[in-house]
Amino acid sequence: MQKLVVIGAGMASGRVLEHLFEADPDAYEVTLFNAEPRGNYNRIMLSPVLSGEKSYGEIVTHDDTWYGRNDVTCRFGEKVVAVDRARKVVIGENGEVPYDKLVFGTGSSAFIIPCPGHDLPGVVAFRDLEDTSAMTEASARPGAKAVVIGGGLLGLEAAAALRLRGMEVTVLHLMGHLMERQLDEAAGYLLRKDLERRGITVMTQASTKEIRGQGRVEQVVLEDGTVLEADIVVMAVGIRPQVQLAKEAGLAVGRAIQVDAQMRTSDPDVFAVGECVEFEGHLFGLVAPLYDQAKVLAKTLLDEEETFAVKELSTKLKVTGCDLFSAGDFAEGDSREDIVFRDPARGVYKRLVLEDDRLVGAVMYGDTADGNWFFSLIKDGTDVSGMRDTLIFGPAYQGGASADPLSAVAALPDDAEICGCNGVCKGTIVAAIEGGAGDLPSLRAKTKASASCGTCTGLVEQLLAVTLGDGYAAPAAQPVCGCCDLTHEEVRRLIRAKELKSQPAVWQELGWKTVNGCHVCRPAVNFYLLADWPLEYRDDPQSRFVNERNHANIQKDGTYSVMPRMWGGMTDANELRAIADAAEKYGAAVKVTGGQRIDLLGIRKEDLPAIWSDLNDAGMVSGHAYSKGLRTVKTCVGSDWCRFGTQDSTGLGIRLEKRLWGSWTPHKVKLGVSGCPRNCAEATCKDIGIVCVDSGYQIGVGGAAGMDVKEVERLAEAATEAEAIDLVVAFVQLYRENAKYLDRPYRWIAKVGLDWVKAQVLDPEVRAGLIARFDISQSVYQHDPWADHVQTRRAAYAPLADLSLEAAE
Amino acid sequence: MDVAADTTEKTFIQIAEIWVPEGDRLVHGGGDYGGLGAFEATSRRESFAQGEGLPGKAWAEARPVVLKGFDGSYFKRTEAAAEAGLTAAVAIPVFAGAVLKAVLVVLCGDDDARTGAIEIWSETDGLMMLDDGYYGAAKHFEWVSQHTHFPVGQGLPGGVWAARTPILMRDLGSGYRFIRADSAAKAGLTTGLGLPIPLPSGRSCVLTLLSAKGTPIARRFELWDARASRVGKDGGAVLADGICAREGPLWDEDNPRRVTAWQGLIGRVLGSGLPVAESAAPGLPGGYGAMVALPLHQGGELAHIVAWYV
Repeated sequence: MQKLVVIGAGMASGRVLEHLFEADPDAYEVTLFNAEPRGNYNRIMLSPVLSGEKSYGEIVTHDDTWYGRNDVTCRFGEKVVAVDRARKVVIGENGEVPYDKLVFGTGSSAFIIPCPGHDLPGVVAFRDLEDTSAMTEASARPGAKAVVIGGGLLGLEAAAALRLRGMEVTVLHLMGHLMERQLDEAAGYLLRKDLERRGITVMTQASTKEIRGQGRVEQVVLEDGTVLEADIVVMAVGIRPQVQLAKEAGLAVGRAIQVDAQMRTSDPDVFAVGECVEFEGHLFGLVAPLYDQAKVLAKTLLDEEETFAVKELSTKLKVTGCDLFSAGDFAEGDSREDIVFRDPARGVYKRLVLEDDRLVGAVMYGDTADGNWFFSLIKDGTDVSGMRDTLIFGPAYQGGASADPLSAVAALPDDAEICGCNGVCKGTIVAAIEGGAGDLPSLRAKTKASASCGTCTGLVEQLLAVTLGDGYAAPAAQPVCGCCDLTHEEVRRLIRAKELKSQPAVWQELGWKTVNGCHVCRPAVNFYLLADWPLEYRDDPQSRFVNERNHANIQKDGTYSVMPRMWGGMTDANELRAIADAAEKYGAAVKVTGGQRIDLLGIRKEDLPAIWSDLNDAGMVSGHAYSKGLRTVKTCVGSDWCRFGTQDSTGLGIRLEKRLWGSWTPHKVKLGVSGCPRNCAEATCKDIGIVCVDSGYQIGVGGAAGMDVKEVERLAEAATEAEAIDLVVAFVQLYRENAKYLDRPYRWIAKVGLDWVKAQVLDPEVRAGLIARFDISQSVYQHDPWADHVQTRRAAYAPLADLSLEAAE
Repeated sequence: MDVAADTTEKTFIQIAEIWVPEGDRLVHGGGDYGGLGAFEATSRRESFAQGEGLPGKAWAEARPVVLKGFDGSYFKRTEAAAEAGLTAAVAIPVFAGAVLKAVLVVLCGDDDARTGAIEIWSETDGLMMLDDGYYGAAKHFEWVSQHTHFPVGQGLPGGVWAARTPILMRDLGSGYRFIRADSAAKAGLTTGLGLPIPLPSGRSCVLTLLSAKGTPIARRFELWDARASRVGKDGGAVLADGICAREGPLWDEDNPRRVTAWQGLIGRVLGSGLPVAESAAPGLPGGYGAMVALPLHQGGELAHIVAWYV
């Protein structure tokens, strides 16, 4: 009988022995070394053991009886010191064992981030029973806190288990969304929501700087300065194959022990299996390929033909009540197309990625029933063109219907506010419908819902449909785009009612039919999110039009125009000199605009950072001539210079511009301030126009002088300049909070009615709220994009090799 | 795994019976009476209007009800219960959306030697608080529980609340150190089963069954997942978790057991959506004389089945 020595009693080597004893129990006399003082157990079930949902006894794969029955000599708790291949012996701590064939199953160890404090007691990995026990111990103290570094499979399983044990748990993840290797952003969003529902704090883009503690871990410090208290720190950021022993034995080792398709190392009598193996450049961390390897190695040891091949993998997360499935490759690509299904009410997201009529990737959350079927389509490379239309509904599809467009509204809780103007919640509206209010007018009369600005009309109609079913036929409304069934107003209202604070949240909760929206809805949703959640949401430049992205207007020859801000249309010799220098240096044409600014035309993209920098040096900032935001405040010379001037119109214009600049609005906003009714600043055709009179300030809104020409309507009269500024700021914020994206103020006012606008802006309490919210937003957005881009994004303006391509951008 | 193997011991729950709506009354729908024939005979003749007796009260109030002490209470079968030595009962209404499918009633004898816990937890001010519970002789544990609350995600009640799925905990006293653990260990409580009980009010409610070694609630527990999002449109259920004093772990990650509607006792629950309480029925696993299977609905659909065997 030949002698087989196996180093490492893990899941892969354990499976090798099972196959071997099953096929030929008398082929080998086996000695099994294991550094852990125990035999083979189902390591991937450690997380339910940690949570208390399984006992250790249940996950033991091979107990003493099994080893005894198969005559395995167990040397558990004994480390292997060396392998002498020349003498064909394995040298253990307690002595040598000769071998005819040797199997390395040394597995992997956790990768520990080498930050200061990583070696403090209380910093643990999550690899074995000892780690599990250490975490169990830490959780014994009431109120104990855990920080889990790594939002991958293992880290999240540890986090959920520790939470169940009663700990306060924070997960730190370096990337933008959880499990980014297995999930796309949408599924990552749902997973995060699920974990947060369990009371777990999730921090993405969180980089660990340091672990602190006096003799034991006490705090985790992040790069951004955040300090988290911790009784235990779990590092679950990745694994590293254990190859030192193999390396010292002189075997070929790359990133791991290199093997051929028969699991043979560079020594024909030495084999390797599991996480310590490198095959054709691949490393292995999931169990399925390890079991495949085990099958191959058992046959190889019995001199039978078998070949190992790398296959597609699928992933599941072992957190009770958390249903996710991921398989294949789901990266976006030009030749790929997506099929997306969302059911916001059930928290379901499914995405299939197709390429050349074949399924190449599948991500699903909340409904994983068909996961294995999709996985087999991926593995087999089945041509799915014949079932493309119904593919997403799975194998049992029998004319299934698409998601109910009413599901998002149906899923809202009773206390969700539907009508913001009158503070009417869903429960009140539903009660009124059940009480007999069967159409919009009677509902308005009874509850006041949608009786003011009217932006919630669509939602109220949906509630009628949800409550009355077929008995109510809602009038057709225009959705934002083909990606969804909701109107702009509904999207805005639902973003607030459901407190949606990210794009993935909007896509999922409002049932978007595409993965990430399109060029129509993304800019709108980006604006709605930044307008409603200035502190929580971060502006997404990729969801902006090219002019806003580059902070300059692209011209028909591919060059850009650059226009510095001149507060209220006032300038001085220094600014003019800097403008003249810049015009000369960058070969610009110079144009005085209708808004009393100087425009430099014909600037090449690669010169943008330089010209901005030059103008910044002269104290000028971007004039935002390209943005959906405040453009210019045009003024006349006012009482300082003009014989007819009644007030300091220039000063008011400057103060308004300094207050409002930088704010994003649904569409561009132009202001004018005229010092007397002669109206030299043409204020009465601006979005907001102020005409100064002896008694104060006449504030008009909703003017236009473009495709449509329209005179402003009187919003209010103000006695003082401060009051005038307050009214303007409140109006701008009301417009920001309520208008449909790309509706100029005059269009928006036509929809909601000037009376409603007046009622809001003139109510002192509402006005104060609007102003406060505007100021919060300005604390984030009032900064010069030129200076930012010069500092941080200069490289993005570097010329491309093919300049014609750049011009076509 | 601490499920007692000795089947000759007393069990914590002595009777489990099903009451199903028929017209405007709840009528007898089967049960396991553990040999208490006289009480069974009385029960089979009984029916309850809404608000009448314990099952009627659970129906009327649309929530689980714990009744400790029958004398002078609204309990209708007091005399028969006293003769059988029964002193406490818990009624659990089974709702599918707003529709009452059945009421499961379990009855226990107040015996100094019987330890266990049947608890009703519900959400109050963002925490799981104890509504009521029956603990038998575990008086200290009862007191501790009354003074404990669980944030979302923590402990068995908080975990079930957050996961919206039944959870089966092993080793409550030793391995799993939740706040009540010391007291649980002293009371000999080992296995904990937590169930999310759907109520028409939408209020989050969790039922826990905590089993002690000496007087176990059951010697075998099974959690079946019947959600379409897990098993697909073909229906059926897969065994998500389970432990058995005789067979050991019942779960198999790679190849879980599966049943279809009307296949065996679990299949009967799947097909009918009604609970089952049976003794000496064909199809019981070897060595077991009785079982209770309780369906849990979500969004009006059958989502999970929890079964325990004695």
